[in-house]
Amino acid sequence: MSRPTLGNIEQILQALEQEGYIADREIATAIYLSIELHKPLLVEGAAGVGKTEIAKVMSQALGTDLIRLQCYEGLDVSTALYEWNYPKQMLRIRLEEGTDRTVEEKEQTIFSEAFLLRRPLLQAITHHRAPVLLVDEIDRADVEFESFLLEVLSDWQVTIPEIGTIRARHIPYVVLTSNRTRELSDALRRRCLYLWIDYPSFEKELRIVLRKVPGISQQLAEQIAAFMHLVRRLDLQKVPGVAETLDWSLALLRLHRDHLDRTSVEETIGCLFKHHEDQRLVRGPWLDAALAAIHEAQRDGEGLARALNRIERTLKA
Amino acid sequence: MRRPDLGDLTAHVVAFGRALREHGVLCGPGEIADALRALERVDVLDPEQFRLALRTTLVHGHHDLRVFDALFPLYWSPFPPVSSSQEDGEDGPAQEAASEKGQLSMERWADAEETEGEQEVPGYSALEVLARKDFSTFTDRELEEIGKLVVAIARRIATRMSRRMQRARHSHRLDLRRTMRLHLRWGGDLPELAFKRRRVRKTRLVLLCDVSGSMDIYSRFLIQFVYALQEAVGNVESFVFSTSLTRVTPALRSRTLREALDRLSRTVPNWSGGTRIGASLMQFLEGWRHLLDPRTVVVILSDGWDTGDVEILHRAMREIRARSGRVIWLNPLLGSPGYQPLTRGMQTALPFVDVFAAAHNLESLRELERTLAARVRRTGRRE
Repeated sequence: MSRPTLGNIEQILQALEQEGYIADREIATAIYLSIELHKPLLVEGAAGVGKTEIAKVMSQALGTDLIRLQCYEGLDVSTALYEWNYPKQMLRIRLEEGTDRTVEEKEQTIFSEAFLLRRPLLQAITHHRAPVLLVDEIDRADVEFESFLLEVLSDWQVTIPEIGTIRARHIPYVVLTSNRTRELSDALRRRCLYLWIDYPSFEKELRIVLRKVPGISQQLAEQIAAFMHLVRRLDLQKVPGVAETLDWSLALLRLHRDHLDRTSVEETIGCLFKHHEDQRLVRGPWLDAALAAIHEAQRDGEGLARALNRIERTLKA
Repeated sequence: MRRPDLGDLTAHVVAFGRALREHGVLCGPGEIADALRALERVDVLDPEQFRLALRTTLVHGHHDLRVFDALFPLYWSPFPPVSSSQEDGEDGPAQEAASEKGQLSMERWADAEETEGEQEVPGYSALEVLARKDFSTFTDRELEEIGKLVVAIARRIATRMSRRMQRARHSHRLDLRRTMRLHLRWGGDLPELAFKRRRVRKTRLVLLCDVSGSMDIYSRFLIQFVYALQEAVGNVESFVFSTSLTRVTPALRSRTLREALDRLSRTVPNWSGGTRIGASLMQFLEGWRHLLDPRTVVVILSDGWDTGDVEILHRAMREIRARSGRVIWLNPLLGSPGYQPLTRGMQTALPFVDVFAAAHNLESLRELERTLAARVRRTGRRE
């Protein structure tokens, strides 16, 4: 069974970077070990920190296909693994109505691979080369499904009663993500390597903005990253993630803003905050204080990264 | 990449794994093996790679990361300790004086027991309870009676939730696979349709029980309620709090109540201390937020005497309400004649509470059961 790798941690960092994913060593190490040790990678963290992205860039970097299983409440085996192609079966039964084949023979025909619809899990283990299997938001699936998945991830084979056991041709690279809406079982956790992704640091977010929003000025990008860093410390209903940062940056660019001020923030506030209460909180006196502190630190050439902790304390007081 | 001999390292990794385990991290031989395999594949002389290799393999959850980060520098001191980012100088758990307690209902508990005949009522002073957490004065008969009631209440809470969830979606779905088989059997047109039913989903209960000084006279009673609830419904997570929060689910999983009480009195710090409901609920949200979803019923057992910050309580209640399916607040004081939920804490919390009920004696639990039963019927008819 062939399973290409991505090289060492340094090379993975580069490969991810090439695919437009700004990773740190922690993420690169987790991906590296997941590939090397042939273990699924469980990625947890708040919404919008780039968990799902990991599987996507992994598949691109590995030059293999991405097979995605989106989990939701009520997801069952027939949606995740396989389903019979009922219309096709029905048609076959009709066609064979005149023949004198026995029921058993007919049954054998219509419950064969030709009538099988492969769903993501089955696709993943029968793929012609090891794909990246993304099991997205596993916490949304039911506990029963979780145990079923655990079985597949342990044995790399599935049994279809009418056909028999199908063994994996290649063991996929597996990435599971969870938003922690419910606790996952210890058994599943222990099958996996674990990666927690936090909101990015100022430096990392700055790099992401500069990389993903071409044409943005260094000054504005720094202000945005600093603003995001500070605003996430507020008591918000919904903390904006990196996706929101990028939306916001693009919006500001479109509006030809080259720096943050009250007007530009108010005009674009919908990009960041999707709750009325959050918007109100941000629009309050906090906004002026935060903007003033950011501008001041930038003017003094102090370096925003270093000033942030101080600003945070002042804002709190 | 350098791959030196890992021989002497192995023992250290094993010891480190044991330390993690002692601090509650699920870390067995499998994890150790993974860690060693991982170390073979990274540059172990690079402190960062070394740390990340262990961190990725030995830990499986966010809670455990904190344990790992705290222990790592202690065990691998040659490596410079990782700067633990921003550790705010928040005020520590200030030991607060126990607030005055509402003893009013003590007598009422005694009153309610009268219906049971001339059975002896455990009379004890608040002082004695403060001195020693002795739960053993319950008679077996009381335990049994309360246990039965509590089971009924727990089921009530649980089924109500699952019913609502069930109605919200199609409870029947065509089972095409079985239909097709039937079809084959009969050869012709569809003779009958096979259905499959979704399994009824179980509700999760989260119990947060106040064991602070002001709750003293009820605590042992409430703990019993919590224990029985945990027995009746499979999926229960229990916590007790006063100035801080402790998860007691494992302790309550003991075979008998007595055993559970025993383990509890040994494991819970701050028993009978002051109350900081807001801070405790926040602590719950920080560590256990993921337990809350629309199928979770949160039951808070407290008198609402809060000596902490009301603002924090407000935030905590708002979030708990937003994330969970139902919030039930059981207040033992509610049974006292003329009691009005006027304490600041109670006032703050009430807007976020779906059911506000008494829980100071057997009678009030019966009442609660009736309330919940009535609600089920009412909603049932309306739809």
